[in-house]
Amino acid sequence: MIWVSWRQHRAQAIACLGLLVALTVYAIVLGTSMRTAFSHDDLAGCLARSQGTSCQGAVQAFTNKFGTLVNVAFWAVLLIAPGLIGVLVGAPLIASELEYGTWRLAWSQTVPRTRWLATKLALVTGGLVLFGAAATAVITWYRAPMDRLTGHFLHNIYDFEGPVLTAYILAAFGFAVLAGLLIRRSIPAMIVAFVPWLAIRLVVEFVFRPRFMTPLTLHQVSCTNGCGAGLGSVPQITGRIGDWVLNIGHGHGITYQPADRFWHFQFIEAGIFVALAAAALGATIWLVHRRAA
Amino acid sequence: MFRFRLDGSTGVPPYLQLVHQVRQSLLLGYLLQGDRLPTVKDVAGDLAINPNTVVKAYRQLEHEGLAAGRPGQGTFITGSLSPDPPGAPGAQQALRESLEKWLRDAEDAGLSDDAVTALIAVARHDVNKEKV
Amino acid sequence: MTDDTDSSTPALQADRLGRRYGRVWGLRDCTLTVPAGAIAGLVGPNGAGKTTLLQMIIGLLQPTEGQVSVFGQTSHADAAATLARVSFVAQDHPLYRDFSVADMFHLGRAMNPSWDQELAQERMDRLGIPLKRKVKHLSGGQQAQISLTMALAKRAPLLVLDEPVSSLDPVARLEFMRDVMATAADTGLTVLIASHVVSELERFCDWLIVLTSGHVQIAGPVDGLIAEHRLLTIPRATPDAELPGLRIHRTDSDRHSTALVRADPARLAARLRPGWQADPVGFEQLVMAYLQHRPQTAAADDPVLAAARPGPAAKEVTR
Repeated sequence: MIWVSWRQHRAQAIACLGLLVALTVYAIVLGTSMRTAFSHDDLAGCLARSQGTSCQGAVQAFTNKFGTLVNVAFWAVLLIAPGLIGVLVGAPLIASELEYGTWRLAWSQTVPRTRWLATKLALVTGGLVLFGAAATAVITWYRAPMDRLTGHFLHNIYDFEGPVLTAYILAAFGFAVLAGLLIRRSIPAMIVAFVPWLAIRLVVEFVFRPRFMTPLTLHQVSCTNGCGAGLGSVPQITGRIGDWVLNIGHGHGITYQPADRFWHFQFIEAGIFVALAAAALGATIWLVHRRAA
Repeated sequence: MFRFRLDGSTGVPPYLQLVHQVRQSLLLGYLLQGDRLPTVKDVAGDLAINPNTVVKAYRQLEHEGLAAGRPGQGTFITGSLSPDPPGAPGAQQALRESLEKWLRDAEDAGLSDDAVTALIAVARHDVNKEKV
Repeated sequence: MTDDTDSSTPALQADRLGRRYGRVWGLRDCTLTVPAGAIAGLVGPNGAGKTTLLQMIIGLLQPTEGQVSVFGQTSHADAAATLARVSFVAQDHPLYRDFSVADMFHLGRAMNPSWDQELAQERMDRLGIPLKRKVKHLSGGQQAQISLTMALAKRAPLLVLDEPVSSLDPVARLEFMRDVMATAADTGLTVLIASHVVSELERFCDWLIVLTSGHVQIAGPVDGLIAEHRLLTIPRATPDAELPGLRIHRTDSDRHSTALVRADPARLAARLRPGWQADPVGFEQLVMAYLQHRPQTAAADDPVLAAARPGPAAKEVTR
């Protein structure tokens, strides 16, 4: 049954591997270039001394050179990429069997369909976890120099430098497998799974993520350089690199999430999406078991 | 190997077709005493018919004394059919003469060839019915 | 072949088997037996319940009421023991088109403990199908042969074929059924063939089941059933009540009628009137009559009919 699962998903596995290789090549090229520039301008030393306030010129030059490439284009793709990968792998898993009638072959062998499904899901989930972990590692590695200036709590960096990337993929995968069972057609199932995934993704990121833990407030700020928030400010208005500034309210103070909460937030958000994946896959297994009865 | 054939359009049950073909071949000398008939599997696989049909046919041939099965070896032709019909030559001659007279009577009565054939078929049917 | 079967255990035994989809009964009150080694034909129009019945036998579907057992063991949906006992070739022979023939056999080996790789290999050699070729590059007839090989290599004692040849050209059909018949002759395999094409079944089947509208109309050995039926030619005016046995089907002309009746042969001979003609019925005529048959009430004094006819009509007795 392991071989069968592998053979049926072999093409997808190779495609994902190809994607990973392409990503790695891109990462190495850009990453090496970034590291060279970083050490050339001695940005490391400057950051250690002054959190970046004393070398704004060098910081600006660095972010100008690598900023747009790294941030804007990547974020657009990487927002939807985990969802796309998840639904492309998940939707045909059951749907293609129902669509082409091969379930009558697959489920009349000596392996009960629930075992067939459980083995397949376990294997493919494992593969997606490996893929997600590898992609996360590659991206984290190559972005490391830039992260030293911006931290990784900001929106379009947070999304792919921790367990959340893998969790996004798994949730999309789970939705798509369930959709495939219910709709019995691969392509419609992809759409039906992707849209709610995207909606949840955006809602969690912009509505709930700022509130996973109560933000801290800072009333007094002495700001000489970089008096702002976000990607362009090194350091953030709080005086530290890596804080996630939520709101600069004149008079009400500055609300922010401190940098050391990053991993906490990652696991909360990853937990949400993994729970969604588990619920969808659990429902799928239960429904498949019930269909025969 | 002796090859059978099956004609789906005659309405004759398959097993009888097989029996007839063996009888026919014996009459014509295409099958001789001692010849081995093909295995049930070979016939079933050749004609795409139920193996039990072949078994039935072979049993019928055994019943008629034309064939016999030897365990582990197959089914062999044991009997023969002479081209001459059974009965004493004299009886056969008498039948032949009365048949020719009857045919002349039928012609005198105005029966066409087709009518004669139909009459024979009906009469044969009635006679066979008496045996049921 | 499993060792736990002896020749007296029927290959198939259904007792008041039924399946409901929502409020509609796809199959109801199905009781039948198929002995080991028989080649049974399951005939009925599309939508009659053939596929429902097959799926409950195979273990793809759970009965709503009643039960069915294969070689003495009750079939349960999605249970490995049930799935192991039956080999199945679904309609249109589904295969994974991107797999090679060798891949399909690997799947068979991985998913069936009883898989016989030598048999599969030998069949491919005989048929001249290269193992490396992908399924999508095979002809329809070759794909059907792969499906059949998958089923035969599983070495289950019961083979179920759902409309096996409807999508094949005549030569492919012949090749396919040749192999089934030869295997049945060789191994004593029990075969159940579902079809709505009556004319082709006569040469294959020694057991017959006719299914219409979710109910079994008749089930039994072909030879026995033909012996129990007669095609009567009678005067047009003769009412059904005067017919010996149960009237299955009747065709009326201006001056005469043809009626298919079912009765004990001795009773039939006793009740034949002068002017009536009784002929044996052919396989195809018999099946066609039952496909059009609407069950009537039984003649109360005919024990053959009371035992013979399944379904709700058997419970009604008039006169």
